[in-house]
Amino acid sequence: MRNKLGKTLTYLVLIAVTVVVLFPLFFILLNSFKGKFFISKQPFDLPVGNLFVGLENYTNGLLKTGLLQAAGWSFFITVVSAGLLILFTSMTAYYLTRVKTAWTNALYFLFVFSMVVPFQMVMFTMVDLAGKLHLRNPLGMCILYLGFGAGLCVFMFAGFVKSIPMEIEEAAMIDGCNPLQNFARVVFPVLRPTAVTVAILQVMWIWNDYLLPYLVIGVSTPYKTIPVVIQMLVGTNGNKDMGALMAMLVLSILPIIIFYMACQKYIIEGVVAGAVKG
Amino acid sequence: MEKTLKKYFPVFVLPTLIAFSFSFLIPFIQGVYLSFCNFTTVGNAKWVGLSNYKLAFSAGEGFGRAFLFTAAFTLVAVVTINVLAFLVALLLTRKLRGTNFFRTVFFMPNLIGGIVLGYTWQQMINAVLHQHGVTIVSDPTYGFIGLVLLMNWQMVGYMMIIYIAGLQNVPGELIEAAQIDGATAMQTLFRVKIPMVMPSITICIFLTLSNSFKLFDQNLALTAGAPMKKTQMLALNIYDTFYGKNGYQGVGQAKAVVFFVIVAAIVVAQLLVTRRKEVEQ
Amino acid sequence: MKRKIVSLALAAALSMTLLAGCGKADGDKNAGTDTNDQNEDTTKPSEEGNAEGSVYYMNFKPEVDAIWQDIAKAYTTETGVPVKVVTAASGQYEATLRTEIAGTNAPTLFQINGPVGYESWKDYCLDLSDTDIYENLSDQSLAVTGEDGGVYGIPYTVEAYGIIYNNAIMDKYFALDGAVVKSTDEINSYDTLKAVVEDMTAKKAELGIEGVFASTSLLPGEDWRWQTHLANLPIYYEYKDKGVGDLAEIEFTYAENYKNVLDLYMDNSVSEKGLLGSVDVATSMAEFALGQCAMVQNGNWGWSQISEVSGNTVKAEDVKFMPIYFGVDDENQGLCIGTENFWSINSQASEENIKATKDFLTWLTTSDEGKGFMSKSTDEGGLGNAAPFTTFTEEERSSDPLAVEMYKWMESGKTSVSWNFTSFPSQTFKDNFGNALLEYANGNMSWDEVEAYVIEQWAAEKAAAAPQ
Repeated sequence: MRNKLGKTLTYLVLIAVTVVVLFPLFFILLNSFKGKFFISKQPFDLPVGNLFVGLENYTNGLLKTGLLQAAGWSFFITVVSAGLLILFTSMTAYYLTRVKTAWTNALYFLFVFSMVVPFQMVMFTMVDLAGKLHLRNPLGMCILYLGFGAGLCVFMFAGFVKSIPMEIEEAAMIDGCNPLQNFARVVFPVLRPTAVTVAILQVMWIWNDYLLPYLVIGVSTPYKTIPVVIQMLVGTNGNKDMGALMAMLVLSILPIIIFYMACQKYIIEGVVAGAVKG
Repeated sequence: MEKTLKKYFPVFVLPTLIAFSFSFLIPFIQGVYLSFCNFTTVGNAKWVGLSNYKLAFSAGEGFGRAFLFTAAFTLVAVVTINVLAFLVALLLTRKLRGTNFFRTVFFMPNLIGGIVLGYTWQQMINAVLHQHGVTIVSDPTYGFIGLVLLMNWQMVGYMMIIYIAGLQNVPGELIEAAQIDGATAMQTLFRVKIPMVMPSITICIFLTLSNSFKLFDQNLALTAGAPMKKTQMLALNIYDTFYGKNGYQGVGQAKAVVFFVIVAAIVVAQLLVTRRKEVEQ
Repeated sequence: MKRKIVSLALAAALSMTLLAGCGKADGDKNAGTDTNDQNEDTTKPSEEGNAEGSVYYMNFKPEVDAIWQDIAKAYTTETGVPVKVVTAASGQYEATLRTEIAGTNAPTLFQINGPVGYESWKDYCLDLSDTDIYENLSDQSLAVTGEDGGVYGIPYTVEAYGIIYNNAIMDKYFALDGAVVKSTDEINSYDTLKAVVEDMTAKKAELGIEGVFASTSLLPGEDWRWQTHLANLPIYYEYKDKGVGDLAEIEFTYAENYKNVLDLYMDNSVSEKGLLGSVDVATSMAEFALGQCAMVQNGNWGWSQISEVSGNTVKAEDVKFMPIYFGVDDENQGLCIGTENFWSINSQASEENIKATKDFLTWLTTSDEGKGFMSKSTDEGGLGNAAPFTTFTEEERSSDPLAVEMYKWMESGKTSVSWNFTSFPSQTFKDNFGNALLEYANGNMSWDEVEAYVIEQWAAEKAAAAPQ
């Protein structure tokens, strides 16, 4: 009996937490269908009757912000950067672990050190350098992300490479593989679980990152990413439109939720693995 | 084998190293140097010694106040997030049906970015406060509470996942043994479970600590420091100095160096604590 | 199975980018702020050494962004020279310009707000003394000059601000029994204004309004009507008393008058005081346009915001100006007239781009189409500028109702209040002033504290801005 009561209580608490977690999302969803003047005055009413404006906020917001285009660039930058990161940092981590000299040690230390440094420390000088190197465009962004993500990725890959027994590689070398073939055929397949973890962590970070794309690409180019567009919609106050804001927030969150639904197992595992190692 | 691999340096390391120099190495060195200079762009720097550091700590800069606000926020956020996350993790490791569903839902907010999240919460908090004729910028306390709520909403699910992983690793026999010995639920919790998940606790505390301390996006979106910069955190204070005050770029850079030193100190503390724990076990 | 899910997700994501591609094409045709995409593409060749040159203007005023996009298109259609216009977010102009100007695609044309702005940006200001637009200035003393005698900023409009009122509501009030006065002509001092406003508040139900004044927008970044425009009046009178044009330290002699006017706005407002921190300028202009209030402090540029509000009930002929009666010299005081809009050309832009930018400005101030854009009212697709150039004839003056009112007041024999806020210490000073006003409205700061804070911030920011 006591057990049953405990069970019911537990469920009640869990359901309450679920409501708290989902409430903000429902809040913006509901308000995204309301006329913009009603949002601040009747925030908790259902969008019915004269409050309901259909998809007006969505069409207005999309026209005003170019959010779809931003989603395209966010996607491009995230995928290409994460791809570059996995490819190059796994190779670097492998090299730095297998070749043991004072130089490789120093380099490894530098990568780890970079994880500690807050972005504000390099923000101003990095933007300046990126300008001089003509990196203030989407592809340049990917190169910058490769540099920024390198610390964590090298660290995580290196941790795993250490645990790979040398024997299998040596066997491959005797079979006449050069180091590159060896890496591609023998080492990388073993690294795959780590690669998934790294990819998920990097994708989450890059997709949501605001300051780097804002500073590097700026507001004047058509290459704005989603967070930059949202910040501009609110920041450009000459024509602030609460309805459009709500609608754009909904649209920004939607792809994340779909992505999460599709691969939640990987994401949760990846995040745990990343946290335990990082 | 090492020898042949060594020759492949350009393939294996160079691409990463070049990108790394662009986004980190060179800017970092320039940044340290420029913190001793007066400049508006990197090109026109003039050496001024320590005066930027003196200015950074002058009262008008609000750096000290931002530090206090950040520290207070971090403290409250770290405690609330970890307590809540641990409690939820306890509930979800009770072998009930549907835990997977709850786990999935609770983790979700963590995937939403700071800017989007900040505005979502700003709208919601303002909607509530509106009923009482005030807004989130009417009083810095609202901004503080708002930030704590938001941070909890975002991070509890994440920490919960780590705690669940930790709790699942507690051997079942240990708990059974304790129960056979007549330990109450409370005793099992404090004598068996918590000591066994200490590594998870350390990880979670430092994750929440560094995330809260370096918070920027959420701060910018929720209040942007209003009213009167009383809810401005360190990262935003530095940003505002760089881009909002002409001729103060050097001061901004000096503040960034100080910020870096504090963050580094936190990380070193974490390493020391973790190492000591490992020795003990 | 799992692999399938992942590949499905990837496919979905891919098709999303395809959709995004379509969205882009659509967006280009319609979007306001984002129309620069095509321009961006056409800009590319010139960056690679094409001799044509291109123009990139960093616009200051969000409310006329759409018009600038039209101007850019028209010029490109006529001359083939690409023009890109980007509008910075309100209150973010300096910050945006700072990040943009360091980039490879730096703006070639930007705006400074007067001598203080010139101090900040002088590394980037080109000497314009040999340009057509300087030649054509009706009063060359209006230009911003440097210590070396060069010309670094050209004013492109003269503007006025005061209290905008809705004459229809005022007439309704005058018709009521027991109205304090019977016509707006009788409102000629702070005391009568206060009496009228307070009486109107008492009768707001009969007048069908929610408050006499539109909400005092104190949202950070949206508070310039108070920390800059209203703040100009006490400084104007203080300078006048002391016979100076700038001060390292102020006494804020007329702080009390400032407080009186501000209190009048806030106590007779559409919104409760506690909510003012979430109100932006657009909202208060919408309140005025929808007839929810009778008055709003703003300038002639505000006409576009009034006329654009859907469902607006205010007729153009009912929109009028009166001075901000300040209780100092009400008999003689007119509107606040001046400018803080000066064009500067980026001296670090390439030769071709500088030439293209100069040509663009010449076109804007001499060609019929350009002049049309400059002076036509905003509802006719122009900027509504009262352009101070000899190339504009009487007929080419702005036809905005508020611009018409401005000319009327200029010719009325009253003394226009000059714009002294161009000598305010810095944007930081203004922001801090605005923050203090918000704290005052929220009841967290007393007026004495605000006064002391303003005096202290003025001195601190003046000292910080002085050459080190």
